[in-house]
Amino acid sequence: MEERKLRFGIIGLGKMGILHASLLNVFPEVKLVAFCEKSSLMNRIFKKVFSTTDSCVVSDLEKFRGLNLDAVYVTTPISSHSSIIKELFERKIVRNVFVEKTLASNYDQSKELCDLAKNVGAITMVGYMKRFSVVFNKAKELLSQGGLGEPQRFKAYAYSSDFIGLTKESKSSASRGGALSDLGSHVIDLALWMFGALEVQDLLSVVKNEAGSETSVSFTVVNSSGLTGKFDVSQSMPGYRMPEFGLSIECAKGKIEVNDDRMILTASNGIQKKWYRHDLNDCVHFSIGDPEYFRENLHFVNSLLANRQCDVNFDTASVVDYVIDQVRNKE
Amino acid sequence: MNNASGKTLLIGDNPFHGISHLSQERARDRIGNADSDVEKVNIVLTAIENGADGFMFSVSDLTLQLLKMMREKNTLEQVELYAIIPYAYEYVRIATQTGTPALAKKIAKQIAISGNLGAALGGLGAVLQMNPKSLLKTYLTYELSRINSAAGKKAKLTSLMLHEVLTDMGLALNLDWLFKSYVSYLSERDITPGFNTRNFPYLVRKFKEWDINLDETVIATQFNKAGFQMNPSREECEKALSNLSRPVVVAISVLAAGYFKPPEAADYLVGLENLKGIAVGASTVKQAHETFALFQKRLKSGH
Repeated sequence: MEERKLRFGIIGLGKMGILHASLLNVFPEVKLVAFCEKSSLMNRIFKKVFSTTDSCVVSDLEKFRGLNLDAVYVTTPISSHSSIIKELFERKIVRNVFVEKTLASNYDQSKELCDLAKNVGAITMVGYMKRFSVVFNKAKELLSQGGLGEPQRFKAYAYSSDFIGLTKESKSSASRGGALSDLGSHVIDLALWMFGALEVQDLLSVVKNEAGSETSVSFTVVNSSGLTGKFDVSQSMPGYRMPEFGLSIECAKGKIEVNDDRMILTASNGIQKKWYRHDLNDCVHFSIGDPEYFRENLHFVNSLLANRQCDVNFDTASVVDYVIDQVRNKE
Repeated sequence: MNNASGKTLLIGDNPFHGISHLSQERARDRIGNADSDVEKVNIVLTAIENGADGFMFSVSDLTLQLLKMMREKNTLEQVELYAIIPYAYEYVRIATQTGTPALAKKIAKQIAISGNLGAALGGLGAVLQMNPKSLLKTYLTYELSRINSAAGKKAKLTSLMLHEVLTDMGLALNLDWLFKSYVSYLSERDITPGFNTRNFPYLVRKFKEWDINLDETVIATQFNKAGFQMNPSREECEKALSNLSRPVVVAISVLAAGYFKPPEAADYLVGLENLKGIAVGASTVKQAHETFALFQKRLKSGH
């Protein structure tokens, strides 16, 4: 008898929705059952595109009911995450949810979603895919081994040129949550993953667009062990053709400089070692965009199959929203 | 036209766009190396003088301008053109800024105002019917008209290649109609349909399953000693290459984005049987001279 496949639905057929749909479709354990897209133009296009498959495209979430879905991906703008996920849980449309970062627009919403997920016993995941990068994993591994001693201070950055020179960026930037949620959340998550809980100390600078969302933010953090950190986030940084994330970490016995492409370890005696993605077995079964997208989806699928909670679940992701709220509350 | 070795050598355009898959720091450093269009044209022509057969490029305002300049200098007719569509970076950037529905509308508007009557009328019909195959043909007509307009009718467009993001999404989503329509449309126009992919063995399996004749295509995919971007593994990619009935693969990322120097890359490539050729970028005229002289010599001698 053929083994039953995991039945997935995807809400939002923007670039992230299509990316996840593509990657999921190469998993033999997964069946893409339904897509929900509210834009009438995209809905009509995708109905035709998927007309030769047995996946359906709907415009109303209610139509996901009765499809016996094992999990749903939410890849809509951040501002809609909370209401969509609440609807999924409260109307018992599905139990397990993957949502693109950030979990919600603020910490209160995130906490509510965490509580709802606990109540239904959901397996949850939030799309902080940088945790699945081979270089950031190498940095985390070196920190965890303890050979460098305790981390003492760090600098983190998240830069892109996405909104440079635009005159009508306000609406789109706001719908994406502003620089902190859209871009900064990745590096905040990486810092929380590597160092544990952080409290925001000072807001150093913030630049907003006319819609009131941040385009550039700089702030400092501290933890209970005395570790201090500084974050610089900007969606209008010249020269960043692709978004780039990085951390420079000073430890008692050396320093780590890591970004999307490479990691440099400098020991206290000055000896350096450098690893590129090339050196860290970055191949995956199927790649679109960066390989970390495949690994992230693999983690979610494997968590569902094993009926265990994901490493980057609603609870861990809600802490990112907590930090972002702290920054915004400093204004 | 091939160089004396029978292998096709192509100069790629990644350095012109500030792309480095090794590191973005490096890309930022080197974009200034060829900061004028004249310098970029000189790099392409130097590569041609030193053994390159053609130019592999993403169809963008920048590269179309370079084609126009080469045409005006009467230097384009000897160059085989391998054009990659769409210029994904620009489309992803627009989608990021404005959302995917707005991107779709923007492309439709670009086609409508392009002045290509066939594309505009085809596009109108395709939109009214919401027929993806017609939309694809309209889009291809539009891109071909842009290339022809810049390069002129005498230019030799050897292959129109589908960008890896679209190829790989199409493969993953089992959109066989996309590939069949693409092949059919271009074959009718004596242009070799090309596909850029980061999942070469997967593409080979799917094309066989869909009965698409690989022999009549060009595949651009990563081959380098580090196995960088060779999915699922270097070994699987090499095996799929050796099992092809004809050499249709143009190796890209042969330097693994600057991780290897050309001599070291050549050591690996000469050992690969069944390659149609390679594409490699250069940031300066000097680099173009050295790189292509070396690859022509090494691939010609086969060792």
